[in-house]
Amino acid sequence: MEIQEKLGILSGAARYDASCASSGCGREGSAVRVGNTSQGGICHSWSDDGRCVSLLKILLSNDCRYDCAYCVNRSSNPVPRASFTAREVVDLTMEFYRRNYIEGLFLSSAVMKGPDQTMEEMVRVAEMLREEEKFGGYIHLKVIPGSSPELVRRAGLAADRISVNIELPSGESLQRLAPQKRRESILEPMRLIGTEIGSSLVERTLSRKAPRFAPAGQSTQMIIGASPETDLQILRLSQGLYRKMNLKRVYYSAFVPVNDDNRLPVLAAPPLLREHRLYQADWLLRFYNFSAEEILSDDAPDLDESFDPKTAWALRHPECFPVEVNRADYHTLLRVPGIGPTSAKRIVAARRFASITPEGLKKIGVVMKRAKYFVTCSGRPFEKEVREPLRLRQRLLLGEPAPEPRQLVLFS
Amino acid sequence: MTRYLYDGTAEGLVSAIAQLLDSGTDPMLATLAEREDTLFEEGLFLRTDSDAVEALFSKLKQRAPDAVNAIRYCLMGDAGGLGTSLLRYVALALVHGDRINGHLTDDDVKAVVTMARKAGRELHRMKGLLRFEQMRDGAYLARMEPDHDVIQPLARHFSRRLRAQRWFIVDLRRQSAASWDGSALQFGTLEQFSRPELSDEEVAVQEMWRTFFRTIAIPERRNPKLQKSNMPAKYWKYLTEKQGE
Repeated sequence: MEIQEKLGILSGAARYDASCASSGCGREGSAVRVGNTSQGGICHSWSDDGRCVSLLKILLSNDCRYDCAYCVNRSSNPVPRASFTAREVVDLTMEFYRRNYIEGLFLSSAVMKGPDQTMEEMVRVAEMLREEEKFGGYIHLKVIPGSSPELVRRAGLAADRISVNIELPSGESLQRLAPQKRRESILEPMRLIGTEIGSSLVERTLSRKAPRFAPAGQSTQMIIGASPETDLQILRLSQGLYRKMNLKRVYYSAFVPVNDDNRLPVLAAPPLLREHRLYQADWLLRFYNFSAEEILSDDAPDLDESFDPKTAWALRHPECFPVEVNRADYHTLLRVPGIGPTSAKRIVAARRFASITPEGLKKIGVVMKRAKYFVTCSGRPFEKEVREPLRLRQRLLLGEPAPEPRQLVLFS
Repeated sequence: MTRYLYDGTAEGLVSAIAQLLDSGTDPMLATLAEREDTLFEEGLFLRTDSDAVEALFSKLKQRAPDAVNAIRYCLMGDAGGLGTSLLRYVALALVHGDRINGHLTDDDVKAVVTMARKAGRELHRMKGLLRFEQMRDGAYLARMEPDHDVIQPLARHFSRRLRAQRWFIVDLRRQSAASWDGSALQFGTLEQFSRPELSDEEVAVQEMWRTFFRTIAIPERRNPKLQKSNMPAKYWKYLTEKQGE
C-alpha cells in the first residue's frame, strides 16, 4: 500500500481523539539535533472543523481486535485496514517537522495482536525519534490499557505527554459498550503514570540529570452522550482525576455516531453544545477554584444549555453580588460572570494607580455585557433595576431591550 | 502644546523620545509625530541620534525590563500614530517601573500595550503558520507577508528549532530576508525575488500534508467560520494545506 493511502486511512481513524495540546514543557538541549518544545504550545493550522492542528495525529494501525460499540475501527466494521511501520512514522514526523507543519507527533493505535505488542511498537517509534533522529519536538503517546508497567515506563521516558483514555464516564457503561476493556486496566496505568511523574519531579529537585518522566503530564479523554451519565457524574469524575491522579487535562469528545448499534443512542447530531458547556465547567474546576458540587447538584445534575456554568452559578447566588471591583480580592472577582483570570489580574494591577471607573473596566477587557449586572464601581451599580433574579435571567438571555418600546417577536 | 517631529523610523522615534525626556519636556504638553513631506509642516524636527537611543534603552532595562519588551513589540507594528502615546508611556515607565503595564485605564499605556500585544500575537501565530519548502539545492525557503515586522524574533525562534538545515525566511511585504546556514543567522534586504524551483521530494511531502489536513477534520463537525476566525484568510496565501483548494 502507498504511504499516501495509509496516511489517509490512519489520520482519518485518529481524528476522534480530542487532544492536540503541545504545551506544558520547554525542552532544549545540546543532545538534540532538530526541534524544541515551547511552554505555551503552538498551533500550526486549523482544520475544516475549526479544531487546531498542532501534532501529526495518527494511528500506528487501525487493525483492531476489540469491538467497542462506539468506535469506527471496531473489528466488526468493514473499513479498509492499514498499519505503518515504525520507520514510516518516524520519517513522516521528521519531514513534516522540518517544514514547520507540526509541533510533533501524537501517536495512538488500535490494539493489534495484543496490548503489549502494540505498545512495544509505539514506544519504539518514540525511542527512534529521540535516539536516532535526536528529535527534540513534542511527542504524545497513547497508552494501550493492559500493557505492562515496563512499557508504560519506557513510554513516559521518551514522550512529553502520555495518556490513557478512560473512554466512558462510568464502569458500567464501559462494560456495556466496550466489553473487552476493563475499567481497572485503564485506571491502573493512570495511577502508575501519576506516581512516576511525581517521583521523577522529586528526583529532579535532587539532581538535574535525573530523567524526566512525561514532563507535560498526563491527560485522558471520554466520550460524551453515548451513555446515560449526568453532567454532575462526569464533572465529579474529572474533579477526582484532577485532584487524586494529578491529571493535566480531561478531554470531552461529543459522541459522533459512526456505527449502527442498538446499544447506542440515536442522535440527530453530535452533542456539541453539551461538550462546550462541559469544557466551560472543566475550566471552572481548574482555573476558577470551583468544585463540581458548586456547579451542579443532585436536584439539577445537568448543565444549563442557555447559560454558561458561571453565569448559571451567579444567578443561583444573588447573595454573593454585587461585587465591588475596587475592593474585592482576586478570588471574589473571579466569580463574577464576564471576568476571567486575565481581567481579574488586570483589575488588581490597575487599582494600584487609581480607582477603577466604569470606562476603565471596559478598557481592561471585562465583558461588560455580562459583568454589568453583577458589579459596582466605587459603590455605584450599573444596572439598578435588574437585580431581581427572574428579570435578570431574561435580560441576560435576550440582551438589551430595544430603545423604542416594541412587541417582542418570539416565534416568527 | 508643542508639536515635535521625527524621521518616521523606529530608531528616530525612540531617539526623539530620549531627547525630549532628557531636555525635561513635559510629555503631557508635547505631541510627537512622523514628519511628512509637506513644505510648511509645523513642528520641531528632532534628528535621530543612536547614542540617545542606546542610553534610553539601557536606563529602561534597569528600571522596567518588561516595558522595554513592550516598546520593542510595539515598534514591530505600525507605530506611526503612536508617537505621543509612546513618549508618555516611556516617561511613566521611568517613574513606575514595570508596574506601568498594569495601568490599563490610562489611554496612552493602553494604546502601547495593545499594540505590543497585537504584534506579539502575530509573532506567535507566524511561529505556527510559516511554511518551509525544500528547494532543489536542499535548502528551505519560507515566504510571508505579516502585518507586523516580526522577522527578527521569528528567525531567532527557527534558529533554535530548525538548526540542522539551511533555510531562508523572506518578508515580501517589507522586502526583507533572514538566512540560517546551520550556524549563523543573517538579516538583509531583498533586491528582487523569484521563487526557486521545489525539489521532487518537496512536491511529494506537500501532497501528504494536504492528505493529512483533509482527513483529520471530522465531517460531522465541519465549521468553516471557526476555522477562519482562528486562522484568518490573509494567511492562507502561503499555507501549503490551503493551496489548490
